Formats: sequence, C-alpha cells, structure tokens
Amino acid sequence: MNTATPPLTFKSYFGNIWTAFRTIFKGLTITTRYIVAEKPVTIEYPEVREVLPELSRSRLYNDVENCIACNQCATACPVDCIYIASTRRDKEAPKIKTKDGTPIRLNLTQYTIDTALCCYCGLCTTVCPTQSLTHTTDYEYSQYTVDEMKYNYLEEDIKAWRDRIVK
Amino acid sequence: MAFDLTNEEKAESPYGDEEKIKSNILTVNMGPQHPATHGVLRVEIKTDSEIVTEAIPHIGYLHRCFEKHAENIDYRGIIPFVDRMDYIGAMNMEHGWCLAVEKLLGTEVPRRAEYIRVLVAELQRVASHLMFFGTYSIDLGAFTPFLYAFQEREFILRIFEEISGARLLYNYIWIGGVWNDVTDDQLNRISSFCDNMEDEIDKYHNLVGLNKIFVERTARVGVMDKEMCYDYGLTGPILRSAGVKWDLRKDRPYSIYPEFDFDVPVGTGEQGTVGDCWDRYWVRMREMKESLKIIRQVLEGIEAGPVMGKVSKIIKPPKSEIYVRTECPRGELGYYLIADGGKIPYRVKVKSSCFTHVSALPAVAPGQMIADLVATIGSIDIVLGEVDR
Amino acid sequence: MHEDLVQIINQAVPEAKAVLNKAEVGDSSISINAETIYKVCETLKKNDKYEFNVLQVISGTDYLPEGEEGYLELAYILASFTKNHEVIIKTKLPRGTDSNLPKIDSLCGLWRAANWQERETYDMIGVEFVGHPDLRRILTSSNWEGHPLRKDYKVQEIFNGMVVNPPGKMNLGDQQFGVKSNADSLSNKKPMGL
Repeated sequence: MNTATPPLTFKSYFGNIWTAFRTIFKGLTITTRYIVAEKPVTIEYPEVREVLPELSRSRLYNDVENCIACNQCATACPVDCIYIASTRRDKEAPKIKTKDGTPIRLNLTQYTIDTALCCYCGLCTTVCPTQSLTHTTDYEYSQYTVDEMKYNYLEEDIKAWRDRIVK
Repeated sequence: MAFDLTNEEKAESPYGDEEKIKSNILTVNMGPQHPATHGVLRVEIKTDSEIVTEAIPHIGYLHRCFEKHAENIDYRGIIPFVDRMDYIGAMNMEHGWCLAVEKLLGTEVPRRAEYIRVLVAELQRVASHLMFFGTYSIDLGAFTPFLYAFQEREFILRIFEEISGARLLYNYIWIGGVWNDVTDDQLNRISSFCDNMEDEIDKYHNLVGLNKIFVERTARVGVMDKEMCYDYGLTGPILRSAGVKWDLRKDRPYSIYPEFDFDVPVGTGEQGTVGDCWDRYWVRMREMKESLKIIRQVLEGIEAGPVMGKVSKIIKPPKSEIYVRTECPRGELGYYLIADGGKIPYRVKVKSSCFTHVSALPAVAPGQMIADLVATIGSIDIVLGEVDR
Repeated sequence: MHEDLVQIINQAVPEAKAVLNKAEVGDSSISINAETIYKVCETLKKNDKYEFNVLQVISGTDYLPEGEEGYLELAYILASFTKNHEVIIKTKLPRGTDSNLPKIDSLCGLWRAANWQERETYDMIGVEFVGHPDLRRILTSSNWEGHPLRKDYKVQEIFNGMVVNPPGKMNLGDQQFGVKSNADSLSNKKPMGL
C-alpha cells in the first residue's frame, strides 16, 4: 500500500521543478568528473591476464609420486568427486618414501577427480598429510565434453602441466 | 469471430458483450526469468489497467534441499553448503553456523580469531549493501551507480581472495576459529579502504538518494509499519526503517560485539512516511558507515595469537538442541540444530529472513502501480538462494 | 523464566499439561499437548509480563527408531522483540499415512507469519493444519508425491512423464571406475530414538 502525496499548491509545484533541476545538476557534476579526471579500471583480457593471489582455489593438482593413498581426501570431500583405488605392495618390493619421508605402503592404481562435480571448497587439500594434493591458480581449463573434465592424475600428459603452473 | 458464435456463446464470451469488457482483470506473470526480481522469483500479478489488485509470489525454483543434505554430511563439511544459501553474505552465514556448533561443544575461540571474524563479517556487510545499492538503482533505471558500487566491491572481494582463497563462497570461518591468518599488509590496505569509503558513500547519496526522480519513485511507496513487521516477523533493515531500534548485535550480543561502540540507524520518514522504500535505502546506507566504524575499532584493537582453538578431529556434540540467531545483512538468520551424539546432525532447520520477507508482499501490493511494485520488491533486498535454500 | 512460563500455561490452559525439558547443554524447551496449541500461544501472546509478539519458526522433525512406530515432533519458536527473550514449544504428533496426515490447529489467526511456515511444514514433513486459508505445497512442485524430510522418504520413479535419476546418467563415476563413493560411510544408518 502507498500513502497519499500532500496536496498540490502553486508553491510546491514550482518548488518541485526547482528541486529536480538542482539535484540533477549536482548528480551530473559527479558523473562528469569520471569522464574527464578518473582513469578507467578495465583489465583488457586476453591481452592482459590477471594473476590470482597464491591461496586462490582453482584447478586441483595431485603429485601422484608423493601420494600415499590414505583416502583422507575422498572422505573429506562433501560431494564425493574423488575416486581412489589402491593395492597393497609386495613384501619383497623395494621400500620407497615420499618427499618428506613418509613410507609408501600402497600402490596407487587409480586416482581420478571429477572436476566438473568439484565445488572448490578446499577441504581435501587441508587434510592431505603429505601436501601432494594442492590447489593451483590456473583458471583457463574449459573443455568441450563433460567426460574430459574427469582428470586421471596417473596419466603422463597430466604430469606435463606440473612444470607449467605448479608454484 | 463474433458473428460466428451462437447466442449462448456470445452471452458467455467477454469479447461478445461490451459490459464484460469493462471489468477485465488481466493476469500478468512477472516470471521466473526477470531482471528485476533478483533471482528466480515468480510473482503472479492481477492488474486492473495499471493498478495492481493482487500479487501472489511463487517460490521453489532454486530449492536444493539443504536441510536433507545436512542429514548426510558431517559438521565441518556442511560449511561449504551453508555458504551457498545466501551467496552474497556468505561470511555471516558461516559465522552463525559455527557459533551454534561451538555452543554445543563448549569450545573456546581464541581472541585473534574473534577479531578476524568480526572484521570479515562487517566487510561482508559493506559488500552486500553495496550490491543492494547498485542493483536497486538499476532496477529503477539508473545505469551508472551499478558500476560505481561494483568497483568498490571489487576491492573487498580481492582482499577476501587473498585471505581465504575464493571471491564469493569462502569456506573460511571454521568450527573453533578461522582457517588462515591475516597479515599486517592486508590490514593496512583495509584501513586505507575505510577512509576512502566514507567519502564515496556521501558521493553516492548525493548522486542517487537525494535525486528528485529517485525520491518521487520511492518515497511513500510500499509502507511497512511497526505492527505489520511484528505480525509477519520482518527483521533487519525493514524493522529498523519502521522506527524500531532493534539490532541483534546490540540487544542479544554474540561473539565480541559488546566491546565495540556503534550506533543503530532508524528510519525517520525524512522524505515521505516512516517505513517506506526511501527509508529502507537510507537505513542501509547509514549501516554501511557504522560497519566502517566497527572495522576501524577492530583494526586498532586486534591482538596477536593463534587463530584456531582446540577442536578434536571428529566433532561429536552431545545429544542436545540449540537455536542461534545472528544479524545478517538481510535480517536475522536462525539455525535450529538438533544433535544426537553422532558425527552428523540429526536435523537442521534454517530460519531465513528472506523467506518471511517475501511472504509480506501480498499485503503491500494492492493499490500500487506496477512500477511501484518493482520498487518495493527491490527495496526488500531478497536473495533467492536464502528463500528457497 | 521457563519455570514461570510452565506455571502460567498450566494455570490458563490446564489441558495443556506443560512439562519443562531442562537441558544443561543447549536450549531448554516446553512440551505441551497438541490439541491445545492455539490457546497456549494466545496466552503467551497476550501475557503482559512476557509479550511474545513474534512467531519465528515452525519446524517439524521425524523420529523413526528401528522397529518402532515413531512420531513427529513440531517445534514452535516464539520471540519477544519488546521484552527480549525467546522460547521453544514442542508438541508430539503421530506419523499418520499419506492419505490420512496428522492434524493440528493452524496459528494463522494469531500471527500472519504462520502462513508460509505452515505451508513449508506441510510440504516437507506432512502435517495438515486445520483452518489454514490456503494449504498447498510451497517449495516443491505442486504435483510432487511424498514428503521429503521424513526419514523413510524415497524419491518417486516417474515425474511428469520423465524418469527420475535414470541409471544411465547418474553417478557415472561409480560405474566407470568401479569404486563406490564414500557416502555410505557417513550416513546415519540407524535413526535416533528418544
């Protein structure tokens, strides 16, 4: 519901016209200052590419040589987009360790993340004990089909982007 | 064609009889896809030429059943889901949820984490009110203030990206504290932003708020007075613009808000009546200034220390229930949480402010013109993610 | 404050048999009889000392312990903006069946905020409010079957002629990689009993 406007007198009619001119003129002084005095703030993509801050949560990367297949990331994920399968190593196989000294007891047979389902919350990277799963700052990775968004981190060509973007 | 109809059909059809054409009420659909409804809201409007006789809102187009998801995910994993309800004021949603779980567990949050939580929540309030200012102006036809507001908001979103990692859906306030610390350089930049922002708010008020065209479109339109607010349960800036000095940060304080000194702006009917659309706009602009005051006090008083308290790896509150309300930019948000002693909650009910605000629309709409209806919907400031959950 | 309220309710409406559920952790609540809800809320609203003038939430919960019949519990949260407090009032209802939902009085005559809250409770939990001016579904589609927030809810097979969750399109990762997702480890297999 609205309430009624006050009655229209001669004085209020011309008073309204004068107020309208006055306030519109004041607004125009503010906007013309932007035309003449202020610099534009547009970033001209793709000639100029913005660099995201370090903590920014974009494309995921898993360094499978340092992964111990502990399944913590798959349990922590709220949308269940990480698929992990592993088998036990033989007793006679040589003992290997990760970069920071944790012994690797399982052979990773499959590590796939469905990046189209991922909600980029970052819970998987905070629970990873060896910091092999990290968020990088790459934001240009659209694909033509949804199937290509399932990243298999054991393939060779995925490891090639490590040199390009991992900090 | 009229001359093809029989006599009985002519008597029934509205085009065959002149008397029936005069009293024709037209049903117009302000459909789910519309630039001025701030999301997927459908309003069925019955109009008599230009005057609205009835407006019936239909919701449910963005319903993702958050409450059913919450019965299958553990307490820490719900925080990304909680963000996505009110996606423009996400820090305040996380703050409320963490307060509810911490009260059941009895954990103590370190002082530095409390200061950072207040800093981040008030910055989010400024960003949300800037978004209101920009989109309300563009609803009424003014294209310029939209970009000015978003340029200012860009600074806040960039600071959030450096602190938490994301621009809009943060997953930053965790149970027991905050995820990441804030550096001194970031605090200095926030301080210079605050000094700059005070002048900008005055500039925007001169550009939009005092403009005679804006005043004519919003003063005396969509009046929601005090009795209607209590009856429908309207809270937040709508209740304050009706003249009631009620703010949860002062009347039922939580976190460390009692230590800060700030004012609660109330609508006075300066350019029309108390409780009209112009009052709601003016209350939100003044609230931005009060938030900047709080941010300055936080920057002066922030202490050194840890940012995360002692929380066990698996969070299991005892069998109990709690209802916690916090002051979000859009009103009061409440979480009614029933825990059963296990890893996941038994029932979570979210009392969202926008849900009750949209239900008050059929009472305000009759007698307005369609353009006034657009101004009223914009001034309630709804986000459909919170209405539908 | 809660003991005082229990006394006021029992004096004004003796059939309510109000009982205080005191809690050490979290919030205490008051349980009353389901048939007397309108008179109890009227007493609380018109009381001069406490003045509960705002209805905040009407929420329903489904309790279905294994092997037992189970019941529904409705919680009404009232608040006072002039005297600054709030109270939770709970009632128990039987679960009923799809064609014969449990009934309770509607509060639309006291607060107009009850209108949409009761529609949402009808949609999600399945409780019929007697005297409501316009009781229909609000968040789901108007021809949806079932009440989603019940514990034994199963999604319908066909909706508007379309198959819901067709096996060829859902959870492709589980079939493609032969690894089940982790959802089962966290879900509450045994619902809580009280």
